[in-house]
This record gives sequence, C-alpha cells and structure tokens, in this order.
Amino acid sequence: MMDAALVESIIRILFAGVIITAAYIISTRNLLSLVSVYALQSATLVGIALCLYTIEGAVVLLGIALVTFASKVLIIPYFIATIQERIRIKRDIEFHYLNPTTSLFLSMALMLVIYMALSSIMPNVSGKPTLFFFGAVVGLSLVLMGMMVTFSRKRAITKVLGYLTMENGVLLFGMFVTELPFIIEFLIVIDLIILVILTAILTVGIDSTLEEYHNRLHRFYLWEGTEDVP
Amino acid sequence: MILLALGLVTLACIGLIALSKTNRQMNAVSIAHGLIFTIITAAILAAMDIPVGTFLVGNQYFFIDHLAAFEVLIASVIFTLAAVYAGGYVESLLSSGELEKGSQKLFYTLWSLLLLIIVLAFFADNLALFWIFAEMTTIASAMLVAILAARENIDAALKYIFIASTSMLLSFVGYIFLFETSRSALGEGSLNWTVLLAHAPEFPAEMMLASFALVFIGFAAKSGIFPFHTWLPEAHAKAPSAVSAVLSAVLLNVGIYAILRMVALVHRTNAMPAVSTMLVLFGALTIGIAAVSMLPQKNLKKLIAFSSIENMGLMLVGIAVATPVAIFWVLFHVMAHSFTKASLFFSAGILHRQYHSRFSGDAPDEIRDVFSLQPLAAWGILIGGLAIIGLPFSPVFFSKLFILLQVGTVSMEVLFILLVLLFVAAAGLGYFVITAFTRVSQPGDSPLNEPYRTPGGMKIPVVILLVLIIAMGIFLPGGEIVFFSQMVTELGF
Repeated sequence: MMDAALVESIIRILFAGVIITAAYIISTRNLLSLVSVYALQSATLVGIALCLYTIEGAVVLLGIALVTFASKVLIIPYFIATIQERIRIKRDIEFHYLNPTTSLFLSMALMLVIYMALSSIMPNVSGKPTLFFFGAVVGLSLVLMGMMVTFSRKRAITKVLGYLTMENGVLLFGMFVTELPFIIEFLIVIDLIILVILTAILTVGIDSTLEEYHNRLHRFYLWEGTEDVP
Repeated sequence: MILLALGLVTLACIGLIALSKTNRQMNAVSIAHGLIFTIITAAILAAMDIPVGTFLVGNQYFFIDHLAAFEVLIASVIFTLAAVYAGGYVESLLSSGELEKGSQKLFYTLWSLLLLIIVLAFFADNLALFWIFAEMTTIASAMLVAILAARENIDAALKYIFIASTSMLLSFVGYIFLFETSRSALGEGSLNWTVLLAHAPEFPAEMMLASFALVFIGFAAKSGIFPFHTWLPEAHAKAPSAVSAVLSAVLLNVGIYAILRMVALVHRTNAMPAVSTMLVLFGALTIGIAAVSMLPQKNLKKLIAFSSIENMGLMLVGIAVATPVAIFWVLFHVMAHSFTKASLFFSAGILHRQYHSRFSGDAPDEIRDVFSLQPLAAWGILIGGLAIIGLPFSPVFFSKLFILLQVGTVSMEVLFILLVLLFVAAAGLGYFVITAFTRVSQPGDSPLNEPYRTPGGMKIPVVILLVLIIAMGIFLPGGEIVFFSQMVTELGF
C-alpha cells in the first residue's frame, strides 16, 4: 500500500493533466493529434481510477479502470483514427462561433463558476476531503469544455471528440462524487461505442459508390477535395 | 416473465424480418409485433395487480406502475397503426427510389428494436437504466430518420444526435447528483424511483434543485423544449411519415415522462416553487417560439412538428402547476396529443407522397386541388387540425381547457399570455390549411405530380385514429377517470 498523501498528490498532478488535455482539444487545429490526446486523457482517467482504488479499495473502481482502458484508450481512438485515415483530413480550421483563445478564456471562467456553484450547493460534499470536491469540479468543467467543442466546431469528427470529452467528464465526476453500480457504467460504455460507430457510419459510409461517397463527405465538410491550407 | 416475453417477441420478430424477402412479409411482422405488445400491455392492465412485482419485474431495475403501463399502451397502439401505415408508405418510397432496397430490412429491424427499447425505458425503475434506454431511443430513431440516405436526412439525424446526446449527458450528471443526495440522506445511495419517491421529503432542497435543473436540460432536448428544440422540426419533417408519427406521438412522451417523474420527487421537497417558476418560463417560451414559427410556415410536416413543440410547452406549464387536477389533465393531454398528432402525420404523409417536390426536401409543398386528388388526407388534416387546436368534441379541448383553468388559479397574467400564444399557433395552422386547401390549379400552373394512388393500408390508420379521437372527445367513461386518478395518486401529487 502506498502512502495516502503521496497518492493524493499524484491524483492532483493527474487532474492537471486532464485539464491540459482538455485545453489542447479545445484549441488545436490538428485532427490527428486530437485523437491521441483524447486517448491520453482517457488513460489519465484510468490512472486516477487506479489511484483512487489504492485509497478506497472499492473493486468497482478497478472495473471502471479496466472498461475505460479497453474502450476509450484502445477501441474508440483506434476506430476514429481508422476513419480519419480513410477520409483523409488532417486539420479542422473552422471554428463556428469561438476562436481558440476565446474558448480557453471561456473555459477558465467556466471552471471558476463551477467551483463557486458547487461550493455553495454541496456543503456536505465539500466537508469531505477536498480532493473529492476538486474532482467534482474538474469533472464538471470537463463536461462543459467538451460541450463547447461540440457546439463550436463544424466538422462532425471534431464534434464526436467533443462529445467523448464530455463523457470523460461525466465519468470523472461520477468517480469522485459517488459510486454507481458497475453494470450501469458498463452499459454506458456500450451505449457510447454504438453512438460513435453510428455517427461515424452516418458521416462516412452509408453509400458504397465512390462518387456518391465523396459527394457525401463534401456535404459534411469532412473532405474538401484538397487539403485545407491554414 | 413479462420482460422476458417482450424481449423474446422482439428477437423472434427481428429473426423473421431477416428471413423474409418482400416488403409485405416484413411489414406483416412489424404489425404483429405491435399487436402482440398491445395485447401484452392490455393483459397486464386487465389481469395483474399494479404495481407489478413478479420475477424480473419489481426487482431493483424494473417495475410497472399505472403510468408506465399507460405510456407503453399508447406506444404499442401507435406503433401498430404506424406499422400498418408503413406498409404502403415504404412501398412507395421503394418505387420512387428514395429508400434503397438494401435499407429495407434495416428499417424494419430498427423499427422493432425501437419499440422494445421504448417499452423497456418506460418499465425501468432505476433512473440510470432509464437514462440508458432513453439514450438508445435517440440512436435508433436517428437511424430511422437517416435511413432515406438523402443529404437533408443525414443532416437532420446528425443534428438530432448531437443536440439530444450532449444534453442527455448533462442529465446523467443530474442523476449522479440525485444518487449522491440519496446517499447522504439515506446512508445508502439509490437511483430507484420507488425508493426515492418514498424518501424524497428527506432530501435537501438545493441538491434537488441542482439535480432537477441538469436532468431537465437533457429531457427538455428530448421532448423539444426551447431552446433545445431546433433539431425537432428538421428531424420530424425529413423522416418518413410513419417514423415522424412515432417520433412525435411516442418519443416526445419519453422526455415529458422523465420530467414528470423528476417533478414528482421535487414536489415533495422545498425546491418546488423554484422548479415551478422554471417550468412555467420554459413552457411559455416554448409555446411562444412554436407559435411564432408556425405563422409563416410553408411546409406542412414542419408545421405539424412545431405544433408538437407547442403542445410539449403546454404540458410543461401543466406540470408546473402540479395540482392533482393539473397532472390528471396533463396525462390526458399526453394521450390526446399522441393520437391526434399521429393522425395528422399520417394524413400529411399521404399529401407528401402526392405533392412533394421532386427537387428538394426543403421546398414548400405545392398543394393544389387537394379535395379532388386526396380527399381522405385533406379531411384528415382538417379534422385532425381542428382537434389539435382544441375545438369542442376533441379530447385536446378538455385537456387544454382544464390545464388553462388550473393555470388561472395560480396566475391570471400567465393565463392571458398563454391564451394569446395558443391563439397565434391556432391561427398559423388555420391560415396554412385555408390557403393551401382552397388553392385550385389555374391554367398556366406547372403540372402536378401524377395522382398518387393511396393504398388502403395507409388510409385505414387515418380513419381508425379519427374515429378514436372523436370517441375520446365525446365519451369519458368512469373507468378512464379512475385509471387516470390512480396514476396521479401513484405519482404522489
């Protein structure tokens, strides 16, 4: 058993990692690294779950870590990367309403607001070790940052990654605030996989003829015929 | 046993669909599926003690109370009628090339799956499980919208998925809040609605308010409440009409159902005044946006979709009042709206086959000579339209009247605003029908599509629903009143 104080500081470092990955997802234009950063973010969550396990010893956390690793570090990123390869886009330079700098400032403001809101409505939770309160704040911020990505980007693939970031936030929030039955977590992951596959199929592959296929990609801003030049 | 039976029936149906070769066979399977579900639900209502507590039902994950059985009954009846209607409709989509031959099996499979998922969602006791099924209904129904493989359809489906799913994630955060609330109040956390309802008075108001607000965002998006309604007109207008009917008459109910269950919990705490204000505000805004959008609307299916938004807003206002009488009539309105809206979409589908633009799904419908070309659909829209506006002798008349009377007991100002907005919405619908249905071909007009020969299978559901609507508007048997009162009592109002 590791020293609890040490584990707590490791978790704090991992929190910072989560925030940095989220900031990267919000601001980057490079689609290929987006997926790797998402995988990294999920791996950080796995790390947090394992650290929590050493403190609390709840078996559910091990299960969560395992399912998260299999689905979000391996399967989903691999799937999205394959699709990106097939549709040959490397950059997403179209930001709908927000440019990266504004988004970053906005997300900082969001975190502050969430911190204040949570400390006012969760007196009983903030009475617990501050680590848990901190986890809830980071989780909820991650949800809202992902939401910002979903609504401010134009390409479907980036929107999907925003959605996945949101889901990571829900997981983090759930891990720190409470323990849900494992079966529920498991079903959510299945739901997520179906959703990702469906969105991908919708945006890419319903049709098999090449001309129609490219037409469709064109319509969804997934492929512009030539590579975008920033 | 019930759940097992439902699952096995669905599996058998999907298997049969995979084996069948013609549209007629697959259609027969999906009609049978709807019928069996209707019979099972009717049997539960007639023969069993509700709330049901047998093997597999009544454990910590599922339960059946009056409200759940009521929603499932509506869903099964609508699915059966829509399946009858889909037979002719899919045939016509196939022959016009809008639906590819290969997608046909997928269509019927998704149809059966969607019915099962919706039923399981209504029977779920555990709120997290309910959330998962509700999320899956989005996936299955979005695929049904996208199945036509036209650009607008995929666009509408993606918009639907992104708006509904992202908002639904927030409502999951809300459920986590609820779980945490119950854990700090009861010692052991629970998301079972029955447990939560029993202990709701012990929960702190601030936590319930936060949890309700988050849950509300997600299910408001599912049921087309402002400002999350933007996906709804697109998806409902672009989907095949049989699917539009299901989306409007059954899927919107899922969102309202979730909000109602949540309000039933909040109702027992001190958070209710704040929640009421919030619901009235969003309800009135929703009705307002729908009414304003209906006025200039040129596309019939979009018009009907906006009318659904308007009715969801009214239900929200009724839930906000939260007196037993108001809840009674909200539930009645759920039923009345479902049947009326399904009949409207069925009629609109026939007109759509006749008049739809060959070039773009977004072009306004050029409706001309409607009474000579499609008399049944024209009368269907006319009677259905009058019924949804709430003319006397329609079921919506009673529910609207009593919900508004209940609103009047709380605030005359809100009542006045609502009356004006509802009048605007009715005017929008009336204006469209009067201008479109009185138009006759002039010499020099562009030629119309060939007269569409409506198959009998598409006419029967319209007739059945119209008869049902008129019957519901005239008769209110004592058994029905007792049934609705039981639902209200079980919800704890």
